[in-house]
Amino acid sequence: MAEGARILVIDDDHQIRRMLRAALSGYGYSLGEAATGKEGLNEAALFHPDLVILDLGLPDLDGMEVISRLREWTQVPIIVLSVREGETDKINGLDAGADDYLTKPFSMGELLARIRVAIRHVARNEDEPVLTFPDLAVDLARRLVLLKGEELKLTPTEYEILKALALHAGRVVTHRQLLRVVWGPNFQEETHYLRVYIGQLRRKIEEDPARPRYILTEAGVGYRFTSGE
Amino acid sequence: MANFRAPSVSLHLAPVKPYAWTFLTIVLVTLIGKLISSFFDIANVTLLYLLPVLMSAVRWGRGPSLFASFLGVLAFDFFFVPPVFSLAVSDIKYIFTFAVFLLVGLVTGTMATRIRDELEKTKQREKRTLALYALSEKIASKADLGEILATFARTVAEAVDGRVSILAGEGDHVVRELASYPASAGVGDEKQKAVVRWVLEHGQGAGRGTDILREASELIFPIKADKKTLAALCVNLDQEKRPLSMEKQQLIEAFANLAAVAIIRLRLAEEAEQVQRLAESEKLHKALLDSISHDLRTPLASITGAVTSLLAEGGSYDQEAKGILLDTIKEGAFRLNHFVANLLDMARLQSGSLKLRAEWHDIQDIVGVALREIHDVVEGHPVLVNIGPDLPLVKADFGLVEHVLINLLENAAKYAPGGSEIVVSARAAERMMLISVADRGPVIPVDEREHIFDKFHRVQRSKSISGSGLGLSICRGIVEAHGGMIWVDSPLERGNRFTFSLPLSMQGHEP
Repeated sequence: MAEGARILVIDDDHQIRRMLRAALSGYGYSLGEAATGKEGLNEAALFHPDLVILDLGLPDLDGMEVISRLREWTQVPIIVLSVREGETDKINGLDAGADDYLTKPFSMGELLARIRVAIRHVARNEDEPVLTFPDLAVDLARRLVLLKGEELKLTPTEYEILKALALHAGRVVTHRQLLRVVWGPNFQEETHYLRVYIGQLRRKIEEDPARPRYILTEAGVGYRFTSGE
Repeated sequence: MANFRAPSVSLHLAPVKPYAWTFLTIVLVTLIGKLISSFFDIANVTLLYLLPVLMSAVRWGRGPSLFASFLGVLAFDFFFVPPVFSLAVSDIKYIFTFAVFLLVGLVTGTMATRIRDELEKTKQREKRTLALYALSEKIASKADLGEILATFARTVAEAVDGRVSILAGEGDHVVRELASYPASAGVGDEKQKAVVRWVLEHGQGAGRGTDILREASELIFPIKADKKTLAALCVNLDQEKRPLSMEKQQLIEAFANLAAVAIIRLRLAEEAEQVQRLAESEKLHKALLDSISHDLRTPLASITGAVTSLLAEGGSYDQEAKGILLDTIKEGAFRLNHFVANLLDMARLQSGSLKLRAEWHDIQDIVGVALREIHDVVEGHPVLVNIGPDLPLVKADFGLVEHVLINLLENAAKYAPGGSEIVVSARAAERMMLISVADRGPVIPVDEREHIFDKFHRVQRSKSISGSGLGLSICRGIVEAHGGMIWVDSPLERGNRFTFSLPLSMQGHEP
């Protein structure tokens, strides 16, 4: 499915666009390009992309506006590109409906991984009864977590957090999204709840909690569950 | 101000009051004399009349004491010397008594007056010394010229009960007000400006009560030091006709000298500081340029070298050579990115625009992200993480504390011998979380430990290792912005241990 997928790059920097075209074409993707937000919105309608890579620092439109205008009519996955200092932009972008983000400068390996996850996420939508990862399995039907085949004792909150993260494996989940799923809409700002529970969860599932294998922290944004490879 | 009004009123009555009192005491003495004259010889009564003379001499000075002498003689003659109730004298020996009495009265009166004057002068001197001392105390605690002048103006204004301003010349015709009390008495009219300019030019007092320009409405003193007139002190008395007394003028002159010394001291200190600042900023600029050109060019050189070789000879390299060249490019790019991050942090710290996004974080989480970020750089050093499971959360800016850790880890990897262990640990102390990064590198000499957190400071013998000397100063800036501290020590003289503290919350934070 990934082969031949259509990717629209919206970035005002010519060099980045050229580099992405060369690199991604090499992996079999077909590329569309736009240098401004307006152009990007047009292209999104004409090019029918399977994924949009959007730079937040555009000359004409605010990146946030591009996201919300796209979300008015399409659920196409959006990966946001931003510079390191723009943490607030990243979070706003994700909360506005973007699927993932990458900080410039980024490595091609990271970008390809994000693209794969984002596209697969759209393709795979049926409920899986068991989420399996190397050494770790989350049995959604029986509310069981198995680490290296042994059952783990998790509190209900820890289980809910792990489930929310594992369901979005490979993708970033913002603090806000996680708080909303686990505690409900009234606790969206209580990020210190999360720090405490993530710490506890890591001590249970990670071999070395300071070098986590499954639950990675995305500084200032949220958490990302990796398959642990 | 009101308490200055009262004495000026009593001064007006002063000439009359002592005479009235002297008169009353003479009346009293006469009555007493009348009472005792029936038991004693009237020669003794003469002695009684010396009492008012002495008293008025001590209390009011020469005038009243002379008055007492003459009045005493008259009263004695009139009430006691026969024929009584007449100024006529029957016996010639009383003329002699009068003469001696007058003489004694004059001499004792004069002596008592002199003692009194001495006393008065000593009191004045003491008062002036106290006033000067008070002013110098006030001025010494001020570090700013404006404050010193304001204090000075206020002190003078209170001492003379008038309006005071301190003026300085600027160019040929401009007179600028430096300070005044009460607030802004204003520069004044053209006439006053002319007097001020004259005073500034000649370094002599002028205006009311002096020899020069005495028709001016105010009195102007020069504030002089080193034979240069720094400013003019302009005293404006409310409506009052009488010019300032000599003592007041002397007091103001003494005040002016003191102010001049303070001004000079401040100017010298400022000049010295400015020279030092200039030298320091030049040094900083040079160091910054050196560092930027070095830290940008070195990775750029390796990137350019690797890329151009691949472009030119791409086909002829084997897989391993290509891998090395590509790794070089990757590492160079990482170093550039890291350097730019440090430059940005420094610029933000320096411009004061560093806004902390302080939230509750698990220190283990920050350490984990830093280790992931710097994974390639510390490769070859086993990193031991020693963080207890039950540490409280810290309120910190995640990204900035991560930068601190990255800088410390990078330093450790850079200076310590390859393969040596790096230990990251965290523990909670009273009110503070202590996070440390320890390496097995060459021990930093004790006298260098203070300075390594200064901008662009690098330990002398480490010149061969590339680096800007920015990292640690940025660490300090970030840690201090969090209300913490950073230091380095060397436990057991093996390697260096960098430790920084972050404040813990006081109240519980468990959900």
